[in-house]
Amino acid sequence: MNYSALLSCLLLFPLLGTAQNATVSGSLRDGQNGESLIGATVQAPGLGKGNASNEYGFYSLSIPEGEDSVLLRFTYIGYQTQTMKILPRGAVKLDIELAPVGSLLEEVVVKANALDEKRKSTEMSTSTISTREVKALPALFGETDIIKILQLKPGITPGAEGTTGLFVRGGNNDQNLIVLDEAVVYNANHLFGFFSTFNSDAVKDLKVYKGGFPAQYGGRLSSVIDVRMKEGNNKKLSGTGGIGLISSRLTLEGPIQKDKSSFIVSGRRTYADIITEQINKANEGKEDYNKIPRYYFYDLNTKVNFTLSPKDRLYLSGYFGRDVFTFKDPTFDFRFDWGNATGSARWNHVFGPKLFANTTFTFSDYRYKIQNELQGFSFSLGSNVKDANTKADFYWQPNNSHTVRFGANITYHDFITARLKAGSDDGRVRFEAGRDYDGWEYGAYISDEWAIHRLKLNYGLRLSMWQNDPAFYANIEPRVAANYEVNEHLSLKASYARMNQYVHLLASSGLSLPTDIWYPTTEGVKPEISDQIAVGTSYLIGDQILVTWEAWYKWLQNSVDFKDGAELFGNNDLENELAIGRGYAYSPLELEIEKKEGRLTGWIGYTLAWVRRGDFPDIDNGVYFPPRHDTRHNLSVVALWDAHKWKKRGKDKTLQITETFVYTSGYPAWLPSGRASFIDFPGAQPQFVVPIYGPRNTFRYPAYTRADLGVVYKWKKRNGFENDLTLSIFNATDSRNPYFITIAVENETTPLGEVPFEIKAKQVSLFPILPSLTWNFKF
Amino acid sequence: MVIRAISGYQLERDMKINILKNLLPLAGILFLTACNLTKDVEIDLPDYDRQPVVECYLEPGKPFRLLMTRSYAFFDTLGLSTNFVQNALLDGALVTIAYNGQTDTLKNQLTIVSNPIKIYNYVGQNLVPGAPGTAFVLHIRLADGGEITGTTTMLPLVPIDSVVLEFNPDIDSLGRMLTYITDDQSQDNFYRRLLNYSSLDSVPDQDFIVTDRFSQTALIAFGTGYELKEGDTVFNTIFHITRDYYDFKESVDLAVVGNLNPFAQPSPIKSNVRGSANPVGIFAPLVYDRDTTIVQK
Repeated sequence: MNYSALLSCLLLFPLLGTAQNATVSGSLRDGQNGESLIGATVQAPGLGKGNASNEYGFYSLSIPEGEDSVLLRFTYIGYQTQTMKILPRGAVKLDIELAPVGSLLEEVVVKANALDEKRKSTEMSTSTISTREVKALPALFGETDIIKILQLKPGITPGAEGTTGLFVRGGNNDQNLIVLDEAVVYNANHLFGFFSTFNSDAVKDLKVYKGGFPAQYGGRLSSVIDVRMKEGNNKKLSGTGGIGLISSRLTLEGPIQKDKSSFIVSGRRTYADIITEQINKANEGKEDYNKIPRYYFYDLNTKVNFTLSPKDRLYLSGYFGRDVFTFKDPTFDFRFDWGNATGSARWNHVFGPKLFANTTFTFSDYRYKIQNELQGFSFSLGSNVKDANTKADFYWQPNNSHTVRFGANITYHDFITARLKAGSDDGRVRFEAGRDYDGWEYGAYISDEWAIHRLKLNYGLRLSMWQNDPAFYANIEPRVAANYEVNEHLSLKASYARMNQYVHLLASSGLSLPTDIWYPTTEGVKPEISDQIAVGTSYLIGDQILVTWEAWYKWLQNSVDFKDGAELFGNNDLENELAIGRGYAYSPLELEIEKKEGRLTGWIGYTLAWVRRGDFPDIDNGVYFPPRHDTRHNLSVVALWDAHKWKKRGKDKTLQITETFVYTSGYPAWLPSGRASFIDFPGAQPQFVVPIYGPRNTFRYPAYTRADLGVVYKWKKRNGFENDLTLSIFNATDSRNPYFITIAVENETTPLGEVPFEIKAKQVSLFPILPSLTWNFKF
Repeated sequence: MVIRAISGYQLERDMKINILKNLLPLAGILFLTACNLTKDVEIDLPDYDRQPVVECYLEPGKPFRLLMTRSYAFFDTLGLSTNFVQNALLDGALVTIAYNGQTDTLKNQLTIVSNPIKIYNYVGQNLVPGAPGTAFVLHIRLADGGEITGTTTMLPLVPIDSVVLEFNPDIDSLGRMLTYITDDQSQDNFYRRLLNYSSLDSVPDQDFIVTDRFSQTALIAFGTGYELKEGDTVFNTIFHITRDYYDFKESVDLAVVGNLNPFAQPSPIKSNVRGSANPVGIFAPLVYDRDTTIVQK
């Protein structure tokens, strides 16, 4: 039986047993600011039935019709539980607002899955990050960053130190589908990846899927990172902000029409350039002074939402961010800027108590441009990827045993790869390079979550297609995940997912550079494919600690890498520089111990994994090699401790101490094995030490360890104005971790030139102990 | 200057390196990582078998000359002295170059050429013919029986059309030099640009390779920044190079940069000499035009 026939049969089941039920449906929202609550639960304890709200806060619960009232309980972690009695007849619409628990610390809890809900869910290989964790945990230069917190989860390996790279379960950095309000973010970082594009003041929720991908997601092989912006407070005008070492932030949100519509505007900007410009000014005219180039980045998030009717809600959101690097003097005018712009328009419509629909239009644009002007001559180089996407998603709950999702999307991709223009103003000298591409990506999916007593099964199918004349590819992506609840503490889980990726990042280093190029699938570059199987258990100790073990294996096909010495810039035939191969990764042990409630919260994550790439005809004769993110052991310990809470002169005060510890086995590196000397052309200097590189990544760096500490001191005034001072100590133990190893040559001057007399390996570390202080406020 | 070239060519080739070279200092300021963050470490590199290293450039009108040395394991202390070159020389081989129906045997003889200083250990009796299109075949039999072969073809000279000196309208004590060549657009051409100040033995101020693949005009310009002062001597050389040499030079540059720059992807050396001796190296014509100018207002 083929996939489609099997799925058709299975999907008939939801249509059974739907008679004589009443349906309670509505939205679950935060009573303080009107934000929708994702994953909040509604239960009928007396009937043993329950359900959870979707990503727009919509819920639906079927209960038998009757004459007796039924008690419903609405719960969400960090919020006061609310109960309500209803008469179960027909369709009952019930919009619920839950009140946050009132303490100072708990008020910032916006999202955290109840551990037991997580245990019971068919979802596996997922993690959520709460705003509370992001804001409290110590951060590099005090710049809180949701992506860097994500790196502390098991199965996720960061790239180079301090950066926001994400290598999920052996996947590459470009194999993460990062969406902000459903719009794809192609390059989610600033300053070579040291900071992510996500301003944590504007972010409401982040969820990552490392495997077991639901059918509604597609387009990347290794993870889905679903970031949702706050909707904006529809009760009252409020604001948050902060002043840090690197940047300042300000967010304003409030009702446009109370309880009906709201807005949020959030901005962030660095200010190192203000200081460097002053230094330049002070040294102006000094002969030996080298002017410091100007660099800054900024982000702007905006969102408005409108309740159009009891059944309709409209969200409009946008993001715009840029990094800007300039250098200008009387003879030279250089500018390098890069960044993302995204836009989303979403319309929620409730067709009835069982059917919810979301229609989305998104736009995404990532570009970089380098420009240089010299009297009489100019130069520019840039790349650009643009998407316009429309999709419709339906969420149908025919009864409590089935939750059906189906939908379709169409995306138009437009690529400009390394467009080079240079020449003289008079046109006598002119160079041009670069190529434009486009492509259409289609997706359609259907899935059902089916609860069969102790077994929950989520099965689905996604059909994805890619068209880039004359290339056309169609692929079927089966998805299945199961959860068997052995008892009230233990669940067994398993999943399988196939993913296809039609856009590829051509990155020539392990770091994420703004000049990396997105390249489409073509006749020569086939879609990348991954297949991942995972098995695992979730065990709840008491009701506060969840221990999750997973083992997984992932196969990669049509992996893209560069041939040795590939030319990325000014190349009209980039495909000729690419090598196509395979890969695999596996882990027998990916372990997470989580505690989400109580004064001490946090998690311990550990992963034992192997990653390989190979079968590239043009790299090491096809021999498999470990890529740079193949680190054997990864351990992270994250703790948040509400140390003390007290009241003084009418002010609520709290002290919170946080900690992160990271241990990572050494990552592979490609170091030279030999050296040669070349006399070179006349006029050129002889090169006495030219490294000879053998097979890739045969050397391993020393292990990486780092401990960060944070202290958060908060106080709340009677007028409701809140402040906190956050001390972050990055690398508190001042560990000298390897950033890279270079081979340094000591030379001696001879008539032939500089001749080497000593060769040493030098380890370069990037960050010593780095304390920083940030002042945050909220009103 | 941050980026000296005014032609796109140099930027095409060195773009990433230049960008990073100039952004990294800024990152350094931001990250306060100025000192005490490097240390010597002992590392074990994979085993390495030494390889013959061949360099043979055929300069029209000059004798056939070839340098053959041996490579070392990276941390091998052998040859780390002022006798570096002598210790590395690979002598005792039979070296022949065939062209135009004749075969010359190069004598194993240490030869030092001055201005600029270069060293060779195999030298022929005859002069290299300069007719474009002449095919050359290199054959080497090492004392241990290992074989090395290579082929190349003589290229035509691409002359410098003109050299233009311009002084900055804002800072009139500083000038720049624009060097023009005319490219044959009917075929792919590759060039190397060297710019030496004061002498040909000096460290070049510009040294890069380019292709003409993206030139929309026959005229190609190479420039300097506004950095020349009156009295400066500028040696301005444009080499017409083969694709093999372009690939070789690029791979050598990437190998060097890859060792120094964590952002760069290293590259194995792309040689055009092959054989049972497992050599690395290059066999290529050396065809160039050079302009020497003393800067005057």
